[in-house]
Amino acid sequence: MAVRTRGRDVSPGVEALLDARVVSVGVWLFLAADLFFFAGWWFAFFYLRALNNNQAWMIQGLVRPNRGFGTVVLILAVLTALAYFAASRTPGRGSVFRLLAPVSLVLGIAAVLYQGYGMWHLGFGLTDGAYPSVFSGLTGSWLVQLAGAVAWLATVVLQAGARGDTLARPHSATSFGWILLFLAAVGIINYFLLYFVA
Amino acid sequence: MGMFRLEGQDRVHAGRLAVIWVILSVIGIVAALQIHYPPYDNSVQGADQSKTMALMTVLAVPIFIGVVLMLVYSAIFFRRRGLELVDGPPMLGNTPVQVAWIGISAVVVLFLAVVGITTLASSSAAQAVGAAGRAIGQSGETGSSTAGGQGPELQVQVVAQQWYFTYRYADYGGVETTHLYLPLNRPVELHVTSLDIIHSFWAYQLGVKADANPGVDNVFHVTPDKLGGFQVRCAELCGIWHGHMADSDGRVVSQSDFDAWIAQQQKDEADIQKALPSYAPYYFPEPLTKGS
Amino acid sequence: MVTAEHVSERRLSIPNNPITGVLLAIPAYFAGLWLGTLFGLNDDANTGIILGYTFATVAFLIGVGFLNYPLERLFGWRVSPISDPEENRGIGRFFRLSLDHKVIGMQYLVTILIMLLFGGIGAMLIRSSLLSPDSSITPPGQYIMLIGLHSVMMIFITSAVIVGPFGNYLVPLMIGARRMAFPRLEALSFWLVPPAAVILAAAAFWGGFPTGWTGYPPLSEQAGQGMDSYIVGFALIGLALIVSGINMLATIITLRAPGMTWTRLPIFVWGIFTTSILGMLAAPVLAVALVQLAMDRTVQTSFFLSANGGSNYLWQNLFWFFGHPEVYIFILPAFGIIMEIVPHFARKPLWGYRTGVVGLFGVALLSWFVWQHHLFVSGIAPVLRPFYMLSTELISIPTGIIFLVTLGTLWRARVWFTVPMLFCMGFLFNFLIGGISGVYLSDVPTDVTLHGSYFSMAHFHYTIMGGEIFALMAACYYWLPKMTGKMLSATIGRVHFWWMFIAFNSTFFPLFIAGILNMPRRVSSYDPALQGLNTWVTISAYFLFGSMILFAGNVIYSLFFSARPALANPWHARSLEWQLPTPVPAYNFERVPMIVGGPYDYGVPNARPVADLGGLVGVTGGG
Repeated sequence: MAVRTRGRDVSPGVEALLDARVVSVGVWLFLAADLFFFAGWWFAFFYLRALNNNQAWMIQGLVRPNRGFGTVVLILAVLTALAYFAASRTPGRGSVFRLLAPVSLVLGIAAVLYQGYGMWHLGFGLTDGAYPSVFSGLTGSWLVQLAGAVAWLATVVLQAGARGDTLARPHSATSFGWILLFLAAVGIINYFLLYFVA
Repeated sequence: MGMFRLEGQDRVHAGRLAVIWVILSVIGIVAALQIHYPPYDNSVQGADQSKTMALMTVLAVPIFIGVVLMLVYSAIFFRRRGLELVDGPPMLGNTPVQVAWIGISAVVVLFLAVVGITTLASSSAAQAVGAAGRAIGQSGETGSSTAGGQGPELQVQVVAQQWYFTYRYADYGGVETTHLYLPLNRPVELHVTSLDIIHSFWAYQLGVKADANPGVDNVFHVTPDKLGGFQVRCAELCGIWHGHMADSDGRVVSQSDFDAWIAQQQKDEADIQKALPSYAPYYFPEPLTKGS
Repeated sequence: MVTAEHVSERRLSIPNNPITGVLLAIPAYFAGLWLGTLFGLNDDANTGIILGYTFATVAFLIGVGFLNYPLERLFGWRVSPISDPEENRGIGRFFRLSLDHKVIGMQYLVTILIMLLFGGIGAMLIRSSLLSPDSSITPPGQYIMLIGLHSVMMIFITSAVIVGPFGNYLVPLMIGARRMAFPRLEALSFWLVPPAAVILAAAAFWGGFPTGWTGYPPLSEQAGQGMDSYIVGFALIGLALIVSGINMLATIITLRAPGMTWTRLPIFVWGIFTTSILGMLAAPVLAVALVQLAMDRTVQTSFFLSANGGSNYLWQNLFWFFGHPEVYIFILPAFGIIMEIVPHFARKPLWGYRTGVVGLFGVALLSWFVWQHHLFVSGIAPVLRPFYMLSTELISIPTGIIFLVTLGTLWRARVWFTVPMLFCMGFLFNFLIGGISGVYLSDVPTDVTLHGSYFSMAHFHYTIMGGEIFALMAACYYWLPKMTGKMLSATIGRVHFWWMFIAFNSTFFPLFIAGILNMPRRVSSYDPALQGLNTWVTISAYFLFGSMILFAGNVIYSLFFSARPALANPWHARSLEWQLPTPVPAYNFERVPMIVGGPYDYGVPNARPVADLGGLVGVTGGG
């Protein structure tokens, strides 16, 4: 019974189950790492805010970033994640998926573009103290990750056809939902820190 | 020994090892106690560090000897005889031995931590001066406070910049000097700060090391109790001339010599003094320029 | 991962190899440089250089073939398929993107040994300039540059020198897996290393960077363009740590063969497991610090400038929150190697296996709570010093467990003194000194004198070089026969061990004394009274370098000239990797093995062989 299995551990069915576990564990590990990344930023936020060196955490007369603008970006990001998460949980990836997933993609692109626009129109200079530094760094890091996630979302949506990957590898598309949810959750925390706590 | 369920062979080896270990450890500890550890005892703090270092060495010697002895002993007595590969006795572990090892190492570690923390507390609190300006907790055994100078702590600001230290004496109108002079037996409160990047003020003989950060007032205490010179070096990498940021003209002098010296400094530096910013806990540097 | 049925027949073939990568990287660098100038920032081209390095790295990775998979997934057709390891057994597979963990392990080993040569030459130059106490041999600027390049190069190396070659090669073999969980991430973790090394070396063209490996701002903000190499190179290594950690953990969690329960896992795999947790979680914090430093240097933010609301303590906290787990990233796999090799040559079961695993996890857990011991004299939060003193000293308890387990294994053993075993004994001796000297540094009163002196420098060289590199040598002599199919000469190996062991101790032990006697680290000029001591150290260091050359000579001689073929199991070891034929087949196991025994059951009555290699059809996952 010397069957050459070519990198597959066992039969394709079992292989798919195993793949699902590998991808799911991998995504959770990635999220743990990413949590430490954002935790580093949150530490910087609280640390510099508490020190307030030279009274320059929030210098006098600083034009604060527009709270309404941040709210819109946050709502777009959260809706992206929720729409995709709901879509990825529909059994069989049927018509609901084909409706919701593109919607989430459009919302995601809008969130990225809107936030990107915001980054060019901050209303303050980056040299104006510590809060502008943290705002631009934290929001920028989040934006870069969101853009990467939306690029993969595009892949998932484009491959949602009958012979595409999204159906052939359902577990990958399922686990991906957690990444979007995570980024939305980070977005919520950032929003409260940068627009309210600060 | 019964609780460890030692077999006959275990007993023979353990007994031999214990005897050798005790003998070598005693010799090692006696030898370790002969050493006079830097930074010696030119100040209360330096003496504390010296003593802590001796204590650590005394504790480290039996541990070091024990492990090395085990390695050497294994290499001699537990090596394979002949060419044939023979399996050893299948011992999977021994809970009492493991518990004992962990317990003993925990006791040693906690003992060291307690000693370290109390030494730290006493050597900074010993010099910490209350609001009333009274030196508290001068521990008797350091024998530091025999002579005069029991006034409030002398306030000295150490200002670091690339690549030298200057000193400002707050009690003398913030006069700035290029060498550090300290009166004998007078508790000193050092305020270490920097004008540009991070440096570290290291007065080796006095047992003081304190980083100099821009915008930070780093407080350290020292009570010099021997007359003589000391060296000052930078101990944090601060750019090209870091290795040359040193001054060997620090002095511990008597109170009267100090008074004369500081009066002279005030006179000599009067012109420069006018140009200096007034004395402050720290000075924010000019915005940095890039490139070098 | 290989042929999938739904993939259409359309193909686009690009010649993917490192040469394509370099050809793409060069224009990409200049594109980044040009783009940086468009921002018009008054920053001495720092923006351009950082963008250039980043673009060049991405372009290199695209040239090597990393974009193909995302494109395949996006468009649904093959871009440039990676050849099957069963068909491609030629030497060429080592020079291009491969998803075979054994190829990646060898790529790592060779790359890192080459980097080690450069790091070592840096060390020799540093020691040479210290022959004179007054900077007369090397000007201070060049000396500082050497310090920076040597330290960061060595940090790059030691981050990966065990996990990279031996973790990648051996973990699947040891847990009975046919592949890694994420072969592309695994390959990425390797292919990030050469660009990182090249970018770091490029700092020399800009005069290096003045900060050493700690990169403390504001000095690092004042520094010239060489600092940009530090930022990008370190970020790439951080990324490699993250992806390698995720891959290793996912592999060990999900791909253990049936019967490979957590208590049968070889202890080396536990070493990789714990170190991967640290790498995966610590490197993101470093990434934050590096992003902030890059922003301060380019777009003029003020994370670390106290006059403008920042704080240099922010860097120190973030850096050491990464930096202290980082040093355990170096040593945990070394612990794993020692505890793995000793039972095989003691011919006894690992004594207190579970306690040993607890020790590894204890070190890994405590390493998160000690970072401020690097900041005892920095003036940051003096009230916290007792806590960090205690937590640091507590680490000696789990570390002591590693010694207990090893010494217990040696107790009444029948030790077969092979070259790997000699290196294990050397490790224990050196690491003992390294560990004990660490306690002196953990105690605030003594640390005040020893901090930032040659004492701390000698301490970490004892743990990293005397510890990790000795473990690396043990691993090379032990596993290279499986990896290369050739035995390394034992005679040269013995000479190498004693030479290296004596030269190492003769080099670094006097440096403890230099530190106690008032010699700060990283200085090009020092107290002339210490010149004799330094000359002794320098000459010893030349001998130490010579012993490494002897090692390289042994490898070259044994592989290409004496070419003594290795048996499949030359050490008569029980563990799973030695039950495989040499060379190891393309997918390791014909089918997934069924694990029925422990790896260290020497002398255990009625012990079963470790695995049934016939395997069981249709069963996967760990027990």
